[in-house]
Amino acid sequence: MSSGEAAPGPAASRGAAPGRVHAAAAGAVAEPVGVPPRTGPDRTVAAGAPAFRIRASSLAHRYAPGRGLEAIDFAIASPGLIAVTGPNGSGKSTLLRIVAGLLEPSAGRCEVEIDGALLPPAARRARCGFAAPELAFYDELTVGENLEFAAEASGAVDAVARVDAALDRVGLPGRRRDRVAALSSGMKQRLRLAFAILHAPPLLLLDEPESHLDTDGREVLTQLLATQRASGLVLLATNDEREWRRADQRIELHGRGLGDPA
Amino acid sequence: MPTRGSSFTVAVWAILRKEWRTEWRTRHGLNASLLFALTTLTAVSFAVGRLGDRTDLMGGLLWIVLLFGSLASLSHAFVREVEGRTLTFLRLVATPAAIGFGKLLFNLAFVLLLELVTVPMFLVLMGGPPPDWPPFLGLLALGGLALASTSTLVGAIVSQTRGRAALFAGVSLPLLLPVMAATVSGTRAQWQHGSIRSEVELLAGFTAAVLGASVLLYDHLWND
Repeated sequence: MSSGEAAPGPAASRGAAPGRVHAAAAGAVAEPVGVPPRTGPDRTVAAGAPAFRIRASSLAHRYAPGRGLEAIDFAIASPGLIAVTGPNGSGKSTLLRIVAGLLEPSAGRCEVEIDGALLPPAARRARCGFAAPELAFYDELTVGENLEFAAEASGAVDAVARVDAALDRVGLPGRRRDRVAALSSGMKQRLRLAFAILHAPPLLLLDEPESHLDTDGREVLTQLLATQRASGLVLLATNDEREWRRADQRIELHGRGLGDPA
Repeated sequence: MPTRGSSFTVAVWAILRKEWRTEWRTRHGLNASLLFALTTLTAVSFAVGRLGDRTDLMGGLLWIVLLFGSLASLSHAFVREVEGRTLTFLRLVATPAAIGFGKLLFNLAFVLLLELVTVPMFLVLMGGPPPDWPPFLGLLALGGLALASTSTLVGAIVSQTRGRAALFAGVSLPLLLPVMAATVSGTRAQWQHGSIRSEVELLAGFTAAVLGASVLLYDHLWND
């Protein structure tokens, strides 16, 4: 059964564990009681920023018996940083793919609202930035060509400027002309982050964003999360305690995980 | 984000440019297709010489070369995305319909390029009579569109299956039989100064049906 646990203020500023939303079985909707106040230096909603709300009702996805996302209920709203934690195979990546509209859940509902209007799955990609380990780019194209293609296909009129800005934010300004095939794992991870923020989306879905990043890369990620959580919503799937302790709330998945007996 | 007018057209155009750029960098499809066409025509030319008075055989040979030459590349349009794990990236920047039609336009351009190189080579090596150009070019264009649209749709459908290579051939070749029958018959007829009306009608109807099915199906293809 889902339940909520209060977090009386912005967890990041207190260094305390974020409020938790446990998810183990379908049934009740858990509205996290610890929704942080939308005031203060880093909790103020940016002017003109759209209000995001994600609500999951008995949401589940099954790849095979005992594999996938077990039924979960939660409701979260912007602004903020929400961590999604759980053992390997508990469905963290699956949950992010469902929210992004890349995967149709086999049971339950996942509603994404922007300024009170329901956003259908097909329209979500334009409003969310997505970075995940399985996200790959065209090896034969350069870093700049991959991102320019993404910006142009998304209809951006200022593709080149957007690519420059995104690469600058993730610390890859000098890698624009490098082929993706020549990048290290850490550089590719930064490229994923650049892609996620390319169109300044109000919702960021980041799956294990800290993987392969060096110290500088982690600093880039920290700054990126700080900026985004103030104006939009971030869903961060991670098992890195340093990362999820910075979150305002936590959705904890209790799936059995890979390797456990079914 | 400030966007351009028609997002569908813009996305299709961006995908078409991306396809050409990646193909130009790797030349996987171009090399395989052109090498197949060149090898086949040269081998037939050495084996049987010029077929100037056998216009019945020439129509069949021309379309066999075009069919298998183009299928060597067209089958990879979506397989490349799956095997390179770039399909998620593509799905995040464009709608399934825009992806499908971007790939279709690339495949059509590829077939037309293959025809542009292969047909003059074929006419020189086989030594046939000069074709009746308007119907001949019309058949090449319509046949190319039928080939590209069918192989794009089949490629999209089978791309996420395990036995995609075998499935592509097993599904697309029976589907393409009416196209082959119509193009071979029409090509022979234009050399013999006959009417190609029924062949054109068959090709147009077939292509319209495949494009209609594409419009209906592309949005449902990659819902994991």
